[in-house]
Amino acid sequence: MRRLIEAYVRLLRVLLTVLICLLVIPVTLQIVARYTELIPRYIWTEEAARFLFIWIIMIGATIAVRERTHFDVDVLPRPSTPRAKAVSQLIVDAAILVIAAVFVVYGWGYAAFGYAQTSELTGINMLAMHVAFFLAGVTWVIFIAERSLSALAVIIGGGDDAE
Amino acid sequence: MTPNEIAGLMLGIFAVLIVVRVPVAFALGVACVPVFFLDDRLSPVLLITEMHKSYNSFVLLAVPFFILAANLMNSSGITQRLVELSRAMVGHFRGGLGHVGVVVSMIFAGISGSSTAEAAGIGSLLIPAMKKQGYDSSFTVALIACSSVIGVIIPPSILMVVWGGIMSVSIGALFLAGFLPGIMIGLSLMTCVYVYARRRGYPVYTRASIMEFLRALGRASFALLAPAIVVGGVIFGVATPTEASVLAVLYTLVVGVLVYRSIGLRALPGVFYETARLASISLFCIGTASAFGWLLAFYRIPTAIMKALAPYATSVTAVGMIVAGVFLVVGCFIDAIPAMIIFGNLMLPLAERVHMHPVHFAIIGVVSLAFGLVTPPYGLCLLISCTIGQIKVVDCIRDVGILLIAMLLMLAFVIFFPNAILFVPRLIMPKFV
Repeated sequence: MRRLIEAYVRLLRVLLTVLICLLVIPVTLQIVARYTELIPRYIWTEEAARFLFIWIIMIGATIAVRERTHFDVDVLPRPSTPRAKAVSQLIVDAAILVIAAVFVVYGWGYAAFGYAQTSELTGINMLAMHVAFFLAGVTWVIFIAERSLSALAVIIGGGDDAE
Repeated sequence: MTPNEIAGLMLGIFAVLIVVRVPVAFALGVACVPVFFLDDRLSPVLLITEMHKSYNSFVLLAVPFFILAANLMNSSGITQRLVELSRAMVGHFRGGLGHVGVVVSMIFAGISGSSTAEAAGIGSLLIPAMKKQGYDSSFTVALIACSSVIGVIIPPSILMVVWGGIMSVSIGALFLAGFLPGIMIGLSLMTCVYVYARRRGYPVYTRASIMEFLRALGRASFALLAPAIVVGGVIFGVATPTEASVLAVLYTLVVGVLVYRSIGLRALPGVFYETARLASISLFCIGTASAFGWLLAFYRIPTAIMKALAPYATSVTAVGMIVAGVFLVVGCFIDAIPAMIIFGNLMLPLAERVHMHPVHFAIIGVVSLAFGLVTPPYGLCLLISCTIGQIKVVDCIRDVGILLIAMLLMLAFVIFFPNAILFVPRLIMPKFV
């Protein structure tokens, strides 16, 4: 299971790199089209940029949950024992899980709402963008479920077998 | 529930979650959720729709591109060349390397719109060098962190782009208005370096000869052309801010890969990945902050706040101090962009009430929020510098405080003299100001 999740995270990292490289293209085309006659003024560039953008944000935010790199604030001192650390992580993950739940439950309907629409500019189905929230929610649930189990093991096991 | 109770509930939940170390982005989102359930007119799906709406802004695309341009500058050695140029310019002043840090921050700021990339790039070059020459670690770290703040004050600036986008203010005018406060903050920091250097006997470099200066200038010349392209493009309406940010990326790519040949094609995916990772963390937070701000606006909290503060909002100066005070406090705890999305809109009615100029309002906001980058507990630039300098935040807090006093004096100038701030934009872009 752990291996499968690791492979999934690697896939997300590769996707993120590819998407940000691609993001440079539509905006560049826009500038080139405006100031030269080399290429026509494509109508899809802005929509392509929006599409890439939403996926970059959602994939990036997903990886950041996995790596715990979302910004937090040091008001309290950092927990020092493995058990305190595990409890603190469970609390944080519970809050993330609230957003994940909203994304899963209501993101499904939002994706369906997108499926019913087609972009007037490019003809792509809006599901392609709307589904990003749902998938981010599902991924967070998987990540959090996995590490909550190990956190619980630490709390119950008395903190000796910390990672 | 009354609007005041709703606002209390949301801010209360947010505060509690922050204390137990829930990431800011998620704390903002979770604080909205109960309200969505309490009110029959609302549904949690609004969290998603409001987030998606905020990401549909074309202007926000500039955020990852400006960070990418800065990261490319760091990994292609452009930053190193700028350091050498600064050394030839101010290295012979007392406290040489300290002045170099401030000056290179100002030049870097003219190309990049991101303070965090600036702290990371300049810090990794100068902090080890300064420590080696005998500068105290705490002063070194504090100085590099405070100088990097200039990154979002001297144009281009991610904060100005986002502010202009959400408040519908001319971004070109904001860019022009940013020069003066940015340079003043730089000079105030250099004054501090001088005083520190005198009292602690920090070393100097021998004065660079004209030839050495010209050589350093030549080596940095491609880098120095970038501000003209990026800032000039926006001010003269040749490119939108988003397009200008892409131009900055393309330019640094061409210079780094083809001209200087200092960055290999193999290293590029890593730079792109790091950029996307960092940018998406801030951008995700913009989404939840937008939902949070939207909910406050739905209950007309901004109007309520304006009514409550109206007795104190007697003049432009008074409102300026309120705006700066709120942003300085908020900036200690959350990132600048969500802070501006939530609290900028909250204070807009106050600014309009006293007919504060939108550009003046924006510059006060951007400068005070930029200071939030070095104020703990949540000061990203300070955290980055401390990591590089391998010291704890508490150990440099005193030096940060001293430098911050000098910078706050410059903020006071911005508040008290709107005409000085508006002078450059009025001169160059009279239509927009």
